[in-house]
Amino acid sequence: MAAPLAIGTPASPRLQPGAPRVRLIDPASAPLLARDLFASGDPGPIVASLAHVPELLGPTLPFLGAVLGPSWVSLRETEMVILRTSAVLGCRYCTEAHSVVALDSGLSLDEVRGLRGELPLADSFPDDAERALLAWCDAVAFGVDADIEQARRALVVDDARIVALTLLAATTVMLNRYATALALPTSPDVRERLVAAGL
Amino acid sequence: MIPAAQTLAETTVGGRLWLYSNYHCNLVCTYCLTESGPKVARRELDPATMLDLAREAKGLGFTGVGVTGGEPFLVPEMPELLVELSRVLPVLVLTNGTLFHRALLERMLPLAHADVIVQVSLDRPEPEANDLMRGPENFRKVVEAVPQLRQRGIRVRIATTVEEQDADDLERLCALHRQLGVSDDDHVVRPIIKRGRAETGDMGVVARYLDLEPELTITADGAFWSPFAPTVRQGLLDTDLLLTRTVRPLQRPLDAMRVVAGARPQGADSTLNIR
Repeated sequence: MAAPLAIGTPASPRLQPGAPRVRLIDPASAPLLARDLFASGDPGPIVASLAHVPELLGPTLPFLGAVLGPSWVSLRETEMVILRTSAVLGCRYCTEAHSVVALDSGLSLDEVRGLRGELPLADSFPDDAERALLAWCDAVAFGVDADIEQARRALVVDDARIVALTLLAATTVMLNRYATALALPTSPDVRERLVAAGL
Repeated sequence: MIPAAQTLAETTVGGRLWLYSNYHCNLVCTYCLTESGPKVARRELDPATMLDLAREAKGLGFTGVGVTGGEPFLVPEMPELLVELSRVLPVLVLTNGTLFHRALLERMLPLAHADVIVQVSLDRPEPEANDLMRGPENFRKVVEAVPQLRQRGIRVRIATTVEEQDADDLERLCALHRQLGVSDDDHVVRPIIKRGRAETGDMGVVARYLDLEPELTITADGAFWSPFAPTVRQGLLDTDLLLTRTVRPLQRPLDAMRVVAGARPQGADSTLNIR
């Protein structure tokens, strides 16, 4: 008689402390609809986890690309919002990944440190408008209505921009919770870059 | 032809919808794709869902339903469910043929008047070799069950899954199935697929998705490319041939299948006789 087969639902990984809380799909296991995303190797842990539910990739990735990717919001503002929101929500994965992206986007090391909460924001961002933007991120991330009201008054932008910035921050919050809940791992090359930058 | 059926006919998607009624089994076959056995977790499609899926399938232009597992006849309602399913679409049910005791055979009687084919697995013409793969007493139970089913007017097919084709073996097996009353037309021979327990045991042939006929297959874990796709290895579900986790409405996995089937290169049809 064969040994008992511990199948469980095949979605029950053997969890190790600090390890991802789901199995990350590897290229050999990529579902049919996700094959293209794995064609060049490891697509990163967000795709590698989402691939468990292939039908979510189709709508989710274009959405994330449209909100978080290049748009009429400047790259500097985009990365300020993503990194600040990720830092205040304590998302290790997104904070580490976007520290590197922010540096690559032209933010200074002090600005990145400021966004991560390692330096006073006023020192890193002397410009009032940029500080108002960061206050808006903080308010969207976990402010109560009064905080949001106050932050909105300080942010002098038109409605279209406030919608874009708010969706950017809110989508980052969603990804922060996703990455934190699933303990998505930081890639080795990002870790190397962080160490090299002294972060 | 209804529009949905027309669309199905215009693609290379197979006309039979496969339903994995369950994953558990009373046997632990050495080459089992799904690592089925008596102690695996119960992952089942409930009978009402299977019936609803069959109705949806008919509306979408499917022309038949296949029921497999695991061992479908471990699902308590199976005989009656097969009759119900056959009122929607013709049914092919796969079984190891070892559970047809008197009480179950009595409940199978209505299948004689239903559009249901019972496909029984029998791999080798001698008990020793057969039972080595499929478990003790398997051969005896199958050669007893097949005539019992046929005597009750039920159409029986025999499926042979083999590691390698041996002409003498095959000849003796064909003589046996004819002796059991099963014609050559109702004898299917296919290779072991190197997935699931067969892969762990280094048996069978490697089958890429291009080698497997696209036949939409619904399980408790989602929708897959083929009935050979929802395999389990060392306790983990293989996802390489997964289409969608969402199975209803059936249109959703069917759309995903069409996308994948449409992207297959020309001349990608199977050459491995995997069916």
